[in-house]
Amino acid sequence: MSTISQSRRARAVLASEWIKLRSLRSMRATLAATALFSVALSVLVCGPVGAHWSTFSAARRAQFDPVDSSLNNIQLVAVFFGALGALVVTNEYGNGLIRSTFAATPQRGRVLAAKAVLFGVGALVASTVIVLAAFGAGQAMLAGRAPHAGLGDPGVLGQVLGGALYLTLAGLFGLFLGAVARNTAVSVSAMFGVFLVLPVLVNSLPKDALWQHTVPYLPSNLGVSLWHTHGSLFAAPWLAVVGLVGYVAVLGAAGMVQLRGRDT
Amino acid sequence: MTAAGLRLRATAGSEWIKFRSVRSVPAVLIATAIVVVVGGVLVAAGFRSGWSTMDAADRAAFDPTFQSLRGVELAQLFVGTLGVLTVTGEYTSGLIRTTFAATPQRAQVLVIKGLILGAVVWVLCTVASFVAFFAGQALLTAPARHASLGDPGVLRAVFGGGVYLLLIGLFGVAIGALLRRTTAGVAGLFVIVLVLPIAVALVPGDLGAQLNEYLPSTAGMEFWTVVPAGDHTLGAWPGLAVFVLYVVAAGVAALVLLRRRDV
Repeated sequence: MSTISQSRRARAVLASEWIKLRSLRSMRATLAATALFSVALSVLVCGPVGAHWSTFSAARRAQFDPVDSSLNNIQLVAVFFGALGALVVTNEYGNGLIRSTFAATPQRGRVLAAKAVLFGVGALVASTVIVLAAFGAGQAMLAGRAPHAGLGDPGVLGQVLGGALYLTLAGLFGLFLGAVARNTAVSVSAMFGVFLVLPVLVNSLPKDALWQHTVPYLPSNLGVSLWHTHGSLFAAPWLAVVGLVGYVAVLGAAGMVQLRGRDT
Repeated sequence: MTAAGLRLRATAGSEWIKFRSVRSVPAVLIATAIVVVVGGVLVAAGFRSGWSTMDAADRAAFDPTFQSLRGVELAQLFVGTLGVLTVTGEYTSGLIRTTFAATPQRAQVLVIKGLILGAVVWVLCTVASFVAFFAGQALLTAPARHASLGDPGVLRAVFGGGVYLLLIGLFGVAIGALLRRTTAGVAGLFVIVLVLPIAVALVPGDLGAQLNEYLPSTAGMEFWTVVPAGDHTLGAWPGLAVFVLYVVAAGVAALVLLRRRDV
């Protein structure tokens, strides 16, 4: 096989996957709803603080962090990104298109890689816009009335971009989970389980030595390390990036093995 | 037997076959029971090993019954998805057209689907809740506090685990019938049950707390709680009533739309 036909094939796979990605009807609607949810929650969390700051006690003022308050919607938004990622793969299994896809491109690994690259780039752009919008909306509610932050303040840009990176990796987590499970209902409910139910369950446990060595390394808690002001109990941000990329890589490898070893 | 009685038996028979012969159903049900027990055991073990690191306020607020039942929080993912799929699975495969051709009494079909799923989930999850409770209390040795079935509210709370999961399953059936698509149904159910309480809890001040206690899952959880958490609590029976109201409202809406819409 010549190198030209290789690169042509790669371009053809990317082009067809791009058409499928942008024409998936639920994709735009869900993304728009996610952006609205994120900004609205940021306004709802920061608005009352700006309005009632003068009545707050000293203890409550000391607890308040303007950056975390405008970004804590990320813990919920991550599930939506994961569900979207899962749909990119499982939608084709649901409607049977996957058989045509693999008949056209028998190099199944390449199809999954193209999906991951295109969805990953799209998710990075979308999540950066969403996190910046939520941050900006929250700070606008606080400005002039309560402590607020700007992107230039130390560490703030890192938290905002860390949040966007976390959302992108949660999306890829969902995409590869979809490749492993090949079923929409299973992968969407698994995303809710791993990113919402599990952290609520284990974060409430007493924080003894065993807790400190396990719970901070759950995917959702590694995400907290990225977007939340750093707390002593959670993993360092660089470790969080390594850990999250590790989870995604393991799921990606499992998805590749599934694709090659199974019938469609 | 009257014609209506015969039809009811036939519908129940065919719905039962559909329920038990979907390959994934027995596996999901077994997983549900395991998750209730294992979740409770892990949480109880976590509190026992971390008891020495808890301060006096945390120890006073500790609810041994509730904590030993917290596997229910994981199990609701399985039961809710099963409830949604019971209805949307037929829309995906197109079987629903055959079902409604055979039984034009559509409301009867949906009610029987709910009854079958509800009965199976309730029996299984009640047994699993009792197992989780006894295992959890056995793990919570001194100095950690434990509860026994005779303590006030404990028997109700342990039964509450099964009742809560039954209602989650029925909520899933109703939402599945309303939305008719698996993805939308599963996502819609869990946004209401899981995302909303966390989102509302983030809103500062009394508004968030007061709104939170009237959300379906927060209200329903009151029924398997013994020690009330936080300042705003409805109490066990009012909480159950609020949750039931949501499920009934969704069910009625589903029945009305089912009769009005094309399949």
